[in-house]
Amino acid sequence: MKFHPLTWCIWSVSALAAAFLDRNPFLQVALLMVLINAWLPYRERHAVPHWKLAIVLATVPVVFSVALSRFGHHLLFSLPSIPIIGGAWTLEALVFGASTGMALLLVIGAFAILQSTVRSADLVALLPRPLYRGGTVFALAITFAPQTMTSLNSIMEARRIRHQRTGWRAAPQLLLPLLLTTLERALQYAESLDARGYGSRRRSQYRHPVFRLRDAVVVAAALLSLAWMIVAPAAPFNAYQDLVPALPGVAGLGGILLLAAPAALSTTHRGDDVAHRV
Amino acid sequence: MSLIACEGLTYRYPGAETPALRAVTTTVEPGEVILLRGPSGSGKSTLLRCFNGLVPHSTGGRFEGTVIVCGLDTRHHPPREMGSHIGFVFQHPEAQFVLEDVEAELAFGLENQGLPRPLMRKRIEEVLDQVGIHALRRRRIATLSGGERQRVAIAAALVMHPQALALDEPTSQLDPQAAEDILQVVARLVAELGMTTVIAEHRVERVAPMVDRVWTLDDGRLQDQLPRDALAGGGARPPVVDLAMRAGWTPVPLGLREARAHAGRLPPLSAPATQGATDGPVAIQADSLRYSYDEHPAVRDVSVAVRRGQVTVLMGRNGSGKTTLLKLLAGILQPDAGRVRTAVTAAYIPQDADTLLFAGSVRDELGTLPADVVDPFRPWLDRYPRDLSTGERQQLAIAVVAAGAEVLLLDEPTRGLDPSVKAALTAFLRGRAAAGASILIASHDVEWAARTAERVLMMADGEIYADGPPRTVLSDSLVFSTQVNKLLGAGWLLPEEVPV
Repeated sequence: MKFHPLTWCIWSVSALAAAFLDRNPFLQVALLMVLINAWLPYRERHAVPHWKLAIVLATVPVVFSVALSRFGHHLLFSLPSIPIIGGAWTLEALVFGASTGMALLLVIGAFAILQSTVRSADLVALLPRPLYRGGTVFALAITFAPQTMTSLNSIMEARRIRHQRTGWRAAPQLLLPLLLTTLERALQYAESLDARGYGSRRRSQYRHPVFRLRDAVVVAAALLSLAWMIVAPAAPFNAYQDLVPALPGVAGLGGILLLAAPAALSTTHRGDDVAHRV
Repeated sequence: MSLIACEGLTYRYPGAETPALRAVTTTVEPGEVILLRGPSGSGKSTLLRCFNGLVPHSTGGRFEGTVIVCGLDTRHHPPREMGSHIGFVFQHPEAQFVLEDVEAELAFGLENQGLPRPLMRKRIEEVLDQVGIHALRRRRIATLSGGERQRVAIAAALVMHPQALALDEPTSQLDPQAAEDILQVVARLVAELGMTTVIAEHRVERVAPMVDRVWTLDDGRLQDQLPRDALAGGGARPPVVDLAMRAGWTPVPLGLREARAHAGRLPPLSAPATQGATDGPVAIQADSLRYSYDEHPAVRDVSVAVRRGQVTVLMGRNGSGKTTLLKLLAGILQPDAGRVRTAVTAAYIPQDADTLLFAGSVRDELGTLPADVVDPFRPWLDRYPRDLSTGERQQLAIAVVAAGAEVLLLDEPTRGLDPSVKAALTAFLRGRAAAGASILIASHDVEWAARTAERVLMMADGEIYADGPPRTVLSDSLVFSTQVNKLLGAGWLLPEEVPV
């Protein structure tokens, strides 16, 4: 099922707010389930490596927290007095890191859903006319980022072919060819924009997304969820104060469940439709 | 009135010692189709870019003379104003796309013109039908094949309703069938809309039958001739023209259709002897290799032996699994199943040789390589590698990666190369094979493969389905056979071997 790009933008804001505000592990798991269900109808073949990357990124706070924090009473083990990482490693630090990592994973997940469901051209079309040119540049930058990653992969592969380093220590050697390739591509983009009349006169807009009843339902649910989380926030969780999180109440869980509206509507809808009128 | 008129056009890139174009004077009349040919670095792309004002507005440099396109002087009208008069299709279509999906991409140029939405819709529907990409309209560009991308690039240029089209090597990255499809689109535009077209192309046999004139650029100087005069005169020309010159056929045929009348008068030709490939010792043995990208199988159960002293060409349409197989043999990818047995060093040269060159000068790239490797590059030692021509960069990449390797795995090495550089590459590879190296090349270039290979492997859908000498594998195929074979059949591949 397709929703209006504005619907996804509003839903994403609410999902991001939930990811930032709700640190209770039960609510975090509930939000993760909601995000997975919202994403499933739009999953793409190459999505798995992105999720792997997200999980790797989410483990960073765990490692940093447990290795650097010396607070907490539940001792996991103790290292001799090695600079920075020496001393007591605690369960509280581990759980605090896991909670932060989970929040990071949820934020990445919300952005991933936005990226899977809304095309940059649709986002640009949402912008007011005075911002259109800036928006187009923004859309170009979005398209540019994956190509830069492709270039980086090509350069790393080329270095491996030449039996040269590709790790962090090779970063300076990777940076120059990446910069050159990116600049060359930027020049090609600029030429393509120029050749296709970009900036020659006041632009018109081709796409006109249609806002339907189901969009209104999702937007209402997302805004209600946001309001709920602000007006009646769930009980905060801090592992250093209490390792065992409190069970969330109906109010806390309700805010999260409202975000399941797109997934719920998708399960009741069969077949695809065209969400754009041009 | 001429649609395009160049008068005394001389252009020098910033910092260049010599001009890229020298005193070019020519015209293009409405509805004409021009083939632009010439060696790599002769100025073909530069001339095409003069037509829409990218030269000099984007490039800078010293520009003399005038280029008038559709009555507009490109010196006073920048590319953004020329875009609606002349459509430009770049050599690499991916460099042209600015948005993510096909329909948005087609609309981009129209939005820039400020057209009302109903008119945009009408234009887009028309161009989708003209170019035959209706089924792709909602696809993301990243998911399209090379041929599909090229068709979208042509559609994005056509949707602006230009009076002329400039195509810069539109088929250089495509397999024979995809290239044929693109040229069919161009032929249809010419026949049905009378579209004025200037097309730069190395593989001239693909376009020669449909052109009105041939422009030959050499060192920036343009020669404007009728097709028969130009192609009979020398330079890149179709194999049937080579055969016609040898056989004394007049008028010289430009394509297979015209050549058939002459070929019908030839005495019956018996099939040439088929030479088997030399059976040297095995350098790499692959057994039951499998590899998938996510859940999409790219290589399925492939077993193949790469032998010493042999030049083998691996052919197949875009996406058939050729590059993946080369990477598996090179050890860059690890197979999901099966194994690769080798005791020698293998060098893999990817499609885009630029990625292998990242030093500040050719001297730095070559580093401490032996003198015999460095010697051919002495004239360019102080040059920046990415400023070299396509052919020169290819040679340098092969030198730096493959200097000491006993197995060379090359991916599309002839892409964008002119015939003389291809001939030099053939000689180089044959020399390395004669010295005992094993060479495996993934290529779409049937004519070059027929000249270079001792053995041809055909791949489709991740499997090798044919393996043998070129005369056997490249014969009697609608797609992967040479022009001479399509004309004469019976195992004849090249014009010089036909007894006429």
